[in-house]
Amino acid sequence: MMLGYSILVHIVWFLSTYFIVVFLLTLLKNKSNLYKSPEFSKNDALPKVSIVISAYNEEEKIAESIESLKTIDYPKEMYEVIIVNDGSEDNTKNIVLKYADGKNITFIDNTENKGKAACLNQGIKIAKGDYVACMDADSTVSKDILRKTTPYFKDSKTGAVTVSVEVKNANNFLQRIIQMEYMLGLSLFLKVFSSFNCVHVTPGPFSIYRKSVLEKIGYFDKGNITEDLEIAYRIHKSGFNIRNCMSTHVKTVTPDNVKSLYRQRRRWYSGALITLWQHKDILLKRNAGLFGYFIPYNYSLITFGLGLFLLSTYLTISNAIKNISLYAFTNYNFFSNLSLNFDLLSLSIFGIFGLSGIIGMIMLVTVGLKTIRNSPRKNPSLYFGYFLLFFMYQAFWLASFFLVLFRRKVKW
Amino acid sequence: MVTNKGIFIIAAVITVMLFISIYSFNLFLNTQRERVVVERMKDVLEEYQEIQALSLMSDVFGKDMTCLSLESRLAQMDKTLWDTGVKIDRYREATEKFITDPFYLDQKRKFNRNEIIYFSLLQNMKQWCTFNQTTILYFYKKKEECPWCDAQAFVLTDLNKEIDSEIAIFSFDSDLGLPSIRTLELFYKIDSYPCTVIEDSTYCGLHDKNEMIDLLCKHEDISLCS
Repeated sequence: MMLGYSILVHIVWFLSTYFIVVFLLTLLKNKSNLYKSPEFSKNDALPKVSIVISAYNEEEKIAESIESLKTIDYPKEMYEVIIVNDGSEDNTKNIVLKYADGKNITFIDNTENKGKAACLNQGIKIAKGDYVACMDADSTVSKDILRKTTPYFKDSKTGAVTVSVEVKNANNFLQRIIQMEYMLGLSLFLKVFSSFNCVHVTPGPFSIYRKSVLEKIGYFDKGNITEDLEIAYRIHKSGFNIRNCMSTHVKTVTPDNVKSLYRQRRRWYSGALITLWQHKDILLKRNAGLFGYFIPYNYSLITFGLGLFLLSTYLTISNAIKNISLYAFTNYNFFSNLSLNFDLLSLSIFGIFGLSGIIGMIMLVTVGLKTIRNSPRKNPSLYFGYFLLFFMYQAFWLASFFLVLFRRKVKW
Repeated sequence: MVTNKGIFIIAAVITVMLFISIYSFNLFLNTQRERVVVERMKDVLEEYQEIQALSLMSDVFGKDMTCLSLESRLAQMDKTLWDTGVKIDRYREATEKFITDPFYLDQKRKFNRNEIIYFSLLQNMKQWCTFNQTTILYFYKKKEECPWCDAQAFVLTDLNKEIDSEIAIFSFDSDLGLPSIRTLELFYKIDSYPCTVIEDSTYCGLHDKNEMIDLLCKHEDISLCS
């Protein structure tokens, strides 16, 4: 077992350290360009954009979303909003009808629940814009979102553009940690990945696509529970790039308790595994560019990391049980063998690998947060929570592996 | 925002350098661990030479003159030996997670030999001086052959911390194959492990703390007996 543990430690250390070093080098090299985005010249005409929203039981949030879309700094005649009701059972329909004018805001009312991807496809098919932004009904956008994202399409290879995803309601501790996670994972990481054309997801809260690309690749996959992830694979497969724009953002709601976080991540991770299997033909293929190597690298890190997590947990628990059972022979005299003396020389090679891994992760998070504008307060408890969440995600990944392996159905 | 392929190569070089640094640091720690163990063993040897000198002096200048000094030196040596034993085990564990290092095996042999020397001196002391430290001999084997040895060692460590001045524990690794240890095993009729010898009486099998106190109290009136 120790040999297996040693091999796992070395593999995970190499994969994670290389990832951290590439990330930090790319970040440092492009630090001054993170918030720069292309712009239209005075002679360029603004393109027509359609914003499609799929809404299912969103009576509490949809009005706020529509209001934020109405304030977008973009000529009114150059963008339209298409809201598709996904068989809502609440008051969503009546709220949207108050805004729908058949011109700038179009409403499609589905009486039955078809699923998000099907509704988005329905909206995209009637969209008049050259570019289609897909947005979640519980999200709000910044005013400059279209002016900042559309110029990226001047490059004919750009198939989609993602934006910074921020948290709308960071009220409790968990949400503040998720806010930190989103700022890193769904903003900065995607920006860095976009520099080597490896953006693996077009986040659901807001992403904008070239309509012709959507038509070419056959729209969203109605059968996939993570349609925003799956479509990214097909965009790469069709030879287009996905870019990230950090200078504008969308705000979205996040889970406010561990149970709903688990449900969200179970869907994300299971969807990611199903998508990986669905698009296994892209793996290690040169025609997919770096993306074909990035994906297997990423999932190898996750899988080996999970293996190491499981083995470490097993060894820690069995050691703890063994130690506690030893105390049974000394009438549970816990203090007698307690030693607070730290001896550096007692540190094994695995201890050094572990310490270096923790230092690497702290560096990644600290440097990352430092480069992000409006990053949350650097509170040590948030750092601690972030690492705690990281361990929790290992359990969520495990559950997702189980669900996918045993073909259990994962719902939205 | 652009990335050239050079970044991937530089990152690979940095990662390999970090890996080499970690192994170099581990090598440095190994060297330091060995240095500490060797120094500790040197201390033990010096203590032993001092005791040996005092022991010889007692023949010339009389027991009364040297008993007091011998007693304090032996108490000191008891502590040095114990600390060294703990350090050897801990460092051996840190080093031998993956490989078997002959250095610690060698040190363990030396350590066990020194323990036997100390034990023999202590036995002599008991005859010459009014020195009444209770001696415990503990014989153990590796975990595969002796599943309860860890538990017995844990109990004895706990007792040693509690009544350090009243007892002197000598732990012998029977796997080392030292003739001196084998002689002790034959003398005390050790036929199974873990096995404890308290003042010449052999008690094989696992004994928890309460049982061990009861056994000790059969032989000496130690502070825990009340």
